This record gives sequence, structure tokens and C-alpha cells, in this order.
Amino acid sequence: MGEASPNSVSKYERTPFGKEMLKHFLFDPKFKNLNHGSFGSIPKAIKEKRAQYQEASEARPDPFIRYELPDIIDENRAAVAKVLNVPAETVVIISNATTGINTVLRNITWDEDGKDEILYFNTIYGACGKTVEYICESARGPVQAREIKLEYPLSDDELVSKFKEAIKTSRAARRFPRIAIFDVISSMPGLRMPFEELTKLCKEEGILSCIDGAHGVGHIPLDLSAIDPDFFTSNCHKWLFVPRGCAVFYVPVRNQHLIRSSLPTSHGFVPKATIGGLSNPFEATGKSEFVNQFEFCGTIDNTNYFCIAEAIKWREEVCGGEKAIMDYTHNLAFEGGKMVADMLGTKLLDNEEHTMTNCSLVNILLPLSSSSSPAPGVYSIKEGYGTAVVHWIQRILVDKFQTFIAIFQFQGQWYARLSGQVYLDMDDFKWAGEKLRDVCERIGKGEYIKEDKKVDSVEMVVVGDLRKEGTTASA
Amino acid sequence: MTQKVRFGHKMREAHFGFSPSYTPLNHGSYGTSPLPVIGEQRRYQQQELERPTKFIIYDLPPLIDQARTAVAPLLGVRTDEVVFIPNATTGINIILRNLKFEQQDVIVHFSTIYAACEKTIASVAEIQPLEARCIELEYPISDEEIVRRLRETIEAVRKEGKNAKIAMFDTVLTFPGARMPWEELVRACREMGVLSLIDGAHGVGMIDLTHVGDVGPDFFVTNCHKWLFTPRGSAIFHVPLRNQHLIRTSIPTGHGYSYPSSTSPSSHSQTPFTYLFEFVATQDWSPYISVPSALKFREEQCGGEDSIRSYCFDLARTGGEAVAKILETDVMATTSPTAFTNVRLPISSSLFGDVPRREWESSKAGTIKSWLNRTALEEHDTYLQIGYHAGSLWVRLSGQIYLELSDFEWVGGVLKELCGRVEERSEE
Repeated sequence: MGEASPNSVSKYERTPFGKEMLKHFLFDPKFKNLNHGSFGSIPKAIKEKRAQYQEASEARPDPFIRYELPDIIDENRAAVAKVLNVPAETVVIISNATTGINTVLRNITWDEDGKDEILYFNTIYGACGKTVEYICESARGPVQAREIKLEYPLSDDELVSKFKEAIKTSRAARRFPRIAIFDVISSMPGLRMPFEELTKLCKEEGILSCIDGAHGVGHIPLDLSAIDPDFFTSNCHKWLFVPRGCAVFYVPVRNQHLIRSSLPTSHGFVPKATIGGLSNPFEATGKSEFVNQFEFCGTIDNTNYFCIAEAIKWREEVCGGEKAIMDYTHNLAFEGGKMVADMLGTKLLDNEEHTMTNCSLVNILLPLSSSSSPAPGVYSIKEGYGTAVVHWIQRILVDKFQTFIAIFQFQGQWYARLSGQVYLDMDDFKWAGEKLRDVCERIGKGEYIKEDKKVDSVEMVVVGDLRKEGTTASA
Repeated sequence: MTQKVRFGHKMREAHFGFSPSYTPLNHGSYGTSPLPVIGEQRRYQQQELERPTKFIIYDLPPLIDQARTAVAPLLGVRTDEVVFIPNATTGINIILRNLKFEQQDVIVHFSTIYAACEKTIASVAEIQPLEARCIELEYPISDEEIVRRLRETIEAVRKEGKNAKIAMFDTVLTFPGARMPWEELVRACREMGVLSLIDGAHGVGMIDLTHVGDVGPDFFVTNCHKWLFTPRGSAIFHVPLRNQHLIRTSIPTGHGYSYPSSTSPSSHSQTPFTYLFEFVATQDWSPYISVPSALKFREEQCGGEDSIRSYCFDLARTGGEAVAKILETDVMATTSPTAFTNVRLPISSSLFGDVPRREWESSKAGTIKSWLNRTALEEHDTYLQIGYHAGSLWVRLSGQIYLELSDFEWVGGVLKELCGRVEERSEE
């Protein structure tokens, strides 16, 4: 083993995956956390690390925020840049992936000829879809959006083909596909996209690639240098064990001039025009304009940004590193998901090559149908209750079984999405299968019909609201 | 219930988390929260950690609504006219990026505008046809004169055949720390048919704003984390019902956005405006839901807003006078009291040469300021908010319930010594 230098002495105790890992986390012992994918979670050690920074920020507010914060942010930028295999100068930290997508789309200067198009898939995250709509609504030169409809399951090749078709159709209509937005892993359903091929295609076709990697860093291996997208954003609070409200925003140096302003605009903005230099209360740094813009974007508590390096270290020491985590969680999601599907007599949303399920999210078909005379073992959902039943299931799982499972409608059917994680094992998935079976049986008895059809607004978030209104061209 | 504690050092010891050797005379920049409020915040954060999705989806929305209901009376407005956002800068960006500007549109603002807001205008002007018209202000100046200059500028814009679309101004300036006659400015705007956008970053918890509803500005933002003792990352965005249709999107655009062609009835019970801001994107929402506990602390431990206000204003006034006496300079004359005091520094202006208004930090005056900032920290563990205005360097000090007159007298001595060294250094 040899001598361990002071820097390499482990701070954290190596722990096997599964139940033993729970002691490091803060979940209520009665609550089963099967939906890591929506909001992530953090180990105690990271909570404590953050608390230290929070105390420091109250012990000496100004000096901490003005003088210590920039260096700490830089350390953490470097740490996450390393995980993504890109130079630190290309990476800044923002609050969440939604902000990243908004920052890109609001900074693009659309051509005045009005022929620009934004390409995106129907599986786009709800808020990003709405951002695209808003851009189309508000842009000065008309810009349109082209939705590419995917009907799952499909192979990666089929998906890429659809994308190629959309480009062709757009050009045939004498339009200019300017930028394409696509996921690393979509939200609901949670499916891995062939994002590497899509990026390559964009490059060949002269289209800007904007990758929404909300489910990204800490979830699957990402070599951004090799993939080389034009823009990339990924939440650290989803799969990297960093406290909520933290994401990376990657822009290669060649594109940084395109990002004129952070969102919101703040002190680091450098105006182009004759307005001249404007006051900046923060001391000049030697950093690029791009990095400077995002260093201070309005007062918030960003002590969570300071936890990235520590989270990476924790994952290294406690879990054995990124690859070990990903191998475990991917396998658990896939095998666990299959087991749940067997218990329900259904199947996973997957393609033949299993590329869609090559991640830590899994989508299990529920034995529910809108038909009034479904197959045996499948329960009928009364007309008009399609969305209400989703909320009913989520609610009863919380109230009766102390767990939250994301349920959603997709392509006329109902699915449950589970997340593999280091603190779970096959017993947890078996348990999930039992509860889902129980809940479906209750549906068979009509228990959900007592519920009011009106849904809570925030619950819509988890449903993902894939259904879209508004006029767009579709491929 | 805890025994009430007197304002001053006893309050600091009992309820605040400052480092023992640190003298916090700059509450205005980043605020702070008393320990009981932080404790409440941690409780919520703990609940969120224990059952993440459950807390966020089911428990959080009613908590946010409660916080909105608690805070609306501080502005004298309806609950459905206020939402939470992370900070005033975001609020200004939301407004300026939602409005559609046409050729010849002009935004009128004062030279004392917060720098990031001026940059936001510049950024918007890169993508929309918007011209900025800046009104120079230099203290001392009367409220009447400020309002007169606004009217005059709007008229001048119109004479040029342009459209004075919107005017933007503060409740209390960042630097110098001075209260603006925002009520009269709103009235002038209304009379002249100009939209009024108020940057009340320094607002709620400092000056009385319970008449905002009556005065009726078109858009209003105010930080809670500055003077209301809530944790950082909490601000109120107020848009009266009549203008809510102008705000098409939050920033970033989130789930609450509705398509313009949408005709189906909403399946939720919120108004479009409040729904727009209910779930924007994943963040730490605990600062928002800490508002009720902050208000409770201010009521029960401090005797309420009036009590806090009179202590802070009074201390700023007497403290400023004490510092000016020690430095043998003067306090900047401003028309209305606030929790700020601005004291001129005894540094000869011949030392800073030419100081452009907009780039002063990179001039010699800026170098002196930086030296003062660093040295005051290294040698005296205090941060001094120093700025340039009307030919002099000034220090802006903040009155607060955890301070006493002796803190101001102490800083007077520190400033005297440091400024003396500035003079000496320049002779080297």
C-alpha cells in the first residue's frame, strides 16, 4: 500500500452499496426514497460541509462573499470540469439546468430574415419546451420551433434518422435549422438519448447543439471534450450529491462570445456599445469575461456550489468513485425495473438494444388502460380521470406507504419511474413492485374515483406535462 | 418564549452569529439573519432532506403561499400581487426582458442606478430597440429637484419625438445610501403616462412601505434578505393586477408559463401570475418560507417594524455625526432619514485625479478604496462600504439592532488612522 501522503488520507469511510449506505444519508427511516431523479439528495457529510460555509457567511458576510467566494467557486469549477474532462475556463456554475437552457436561448441573436428554427424532441423537459415557446412568442425576428415526435420504443438509429429527416424537412421548407436542443437522459420517460450521435450530426450539418444534461453529471460518464457540444448544462444537485440549486454550464471557448449575458444580467456584463465602461463594485480579476459574468449573478446563498469538490471526493472515498457508482445504479435500475415489471405482469419502456435503459432511471408500464374492457390483469381508467389517477397514485403512495414514485402518462399509457441509487438495493425495488401492485388493485376497485379531478399545481411539475399546445411545425 | 433582549450588543450576543472579532457595519450589502430564523430555515431544510419529493411537491407550496400572505401587508398590496424571486436583480431582469420595446422607446433612469441594473438595460438594448436616458444626480439635492429633473427629462425625450416608455428608480439608493422621493416620482410618472419601475432592493424592513399599494407603481421589487432578516436569496416581486398580463414569463421560463394560444381552463387554482412563479426551477426555496419566522422575530423579539426602524434610523444619524466629528468632515445631507449614513472621508481629492462616474473603480480613487477595504479587514476585521460621489470618497455605514453608538465611534477612529495613512502613502 505504501505511505499515504497527507493529501491522500481518506476522510470518509468506504461503505458497501445498499442498506448500509443509508446511514450516510438523512432520509426519515420510515420513508423510502425511490425518486432520486427529481430533486436529488445529499449525504450528511455534505450537509455539514455546507453548514460550515453558511456559518462563515454569517460570521463575516462582506469579506466572505467579496473575497473568499470567488476562489472557492474556482476550486469547485475546476473539480467538476475534471469530471467532464474539459478545461475549467469553459465551465461556470449556475442554479439549475433550466437556467442554462434559458441562458443559451435568450442569448442567440435570431436572423432577421425570420427563417431560423429551433429543433427539439417531444420528450423535451416541460419547462424547456415552454422556454422554446416563449422565445418563439417574443423574439423580434420570427423564429419558429420544429418538434420532432418520437414514438417509443425506437432504436438509436431510428431516433437519429428522425432527427435527420427533420433537418431535411426544415430545409425543404426553406428554413434554417439554427439550434437543436436534446437531452442526455430525458425526464419523463427517463430514457437515455443517443446524444453523442446527435451532437456529431449537428456538427456536420452546421447546427448549434444545445444539450440539456439535467440528468447528466454523476449519472453517466460524460467526456465533453470528446462529445464537443456547442452548449451543455447539467444539474449537480440531481446525481452528484450536491445540495439543490446547482448546475454546470459548459460553453467551449469558441462559443463564449455568443453568450452576451448571464441570466439575470449582473455586474460582470461588459456592454458592447458606446455606453462605455460601467461600474463594477467587485475587484477586477484576471478571468475571462465569460467566467466573470457568472461569478456574481445577484445575491443568493450559493454555499451549495462550494460543495461540488467535496461531493466528488465523498463519492470517491465512500463509494469507490464515479464508475463504481454508475455501474451499481445502472444495474440496479435495470434489474430492479425488470423485477417490478414481472410482478406487475407488464414490461419496461426499452428498445431491443437496451440503449434507452443504459442509465439509472427505469420506466415500468403500469397495468392500466383507457379501454373500458382491457386485457385480464389490466385495470380500466374511467374516462376523464387520466391525469387525476396519476395524482391519486402519487398521493396514496406518500400517505399510505411513505414513499414517492413518479407516475406519468405517455403514449396513451401509464408508467412508474424509479431511480437506482447507492442507498437502494433489489429489496427496495421488490417492495416498490408490491406497493404498485397494491395501488393498481385499488384502482381496479375504483378507489381513485372519489378524488376531485382538480390537480395541485406543483404536482403538474412531476407529471412533466408533455402535451403541448400552440402552433409549431412538426417533423 | 425567550426573554426579550435590548438592542445593541446584548442583541448581538443573544441572537446573531457574527464572529466575535468582526464589526458588522455594512448590513446594507448582504444582510444577515438572526439565529432563531436560521434555526427555522434549517428545520425546513431538514424536512426536505428527510422526504425530498414529498416535501417539495406537497409541503412547500402552502408554505410559500403562507409566506406571501405574511409579506403582502408590508407593501399594502393583495397577496395575489406578490410572488417570491431570489433577488432584486432577477426582478429587474424579469420586467425589462418581458416588456416589448419599439423603435424610439426610451427608459429614463438616474445616475445613481445600481450598476447591475444599468448593465441589464445595456444588455436588453443589445437585442431590443431601447435607448437609455440618464439623469445626473449629485447630493446634496432636494426631493423637489429630483422630481423636477425627471419631468424635465421626460419632456425633453418627447420633444425629440421619442417615447418615454418607462422610468426606473430606487426606494433607497445603494450609493450614497439615500432615500429617493419615490412616491412623488411615481405620481409624476402616472401623470405623464410613463411606466414606473421601482428597484426597492433596499426597501422592506428598512423604510415604511405599507403605502406601496396606494401609491401604485407599475412594477416593484424589494429584497427581503437585506433588511427583513430573511436568509439570502429571497425577494418580493410585486406587480399590480392591472399589469400582470405584461409579465409573460418568469426568468428562467418554468413550468408555469402558458402558451399564448391556450384557451383551455386551467386545471389549477392559482392565478396565471402566481402560477407563473410557483415552480420556476429547482433551487433552495427555504429562504422564501423563512419569511414568517423572520417577521415573528421582528415582532416578538424586537417590538415590531416601527421599533426596529426608529432604533436603526436614530443610530445611523447619531453614529454618522460621531464619525464625522472624529474625522472632522461631514455627513452627507439627505432629505429623509434611513438606516444609512454617509460620511465624507478626509482624503484630499487631489489624490484621485480625474474620476469618471462610470469607471471610477479602475481609477486611482478605486485603488484607494480597495486598499481601505483590504486594510480595514486585515487590521481591524471590519468591512467598510466605500464609494465615490460628488468629488469625495465616502463611507456608507448601516445602523442595525445589533450595533451601538460605540461601534460607530470605534470605526471613526479606525477611519481616521487609515485615511491618514492614505495621505502618507501618496506622498511616497
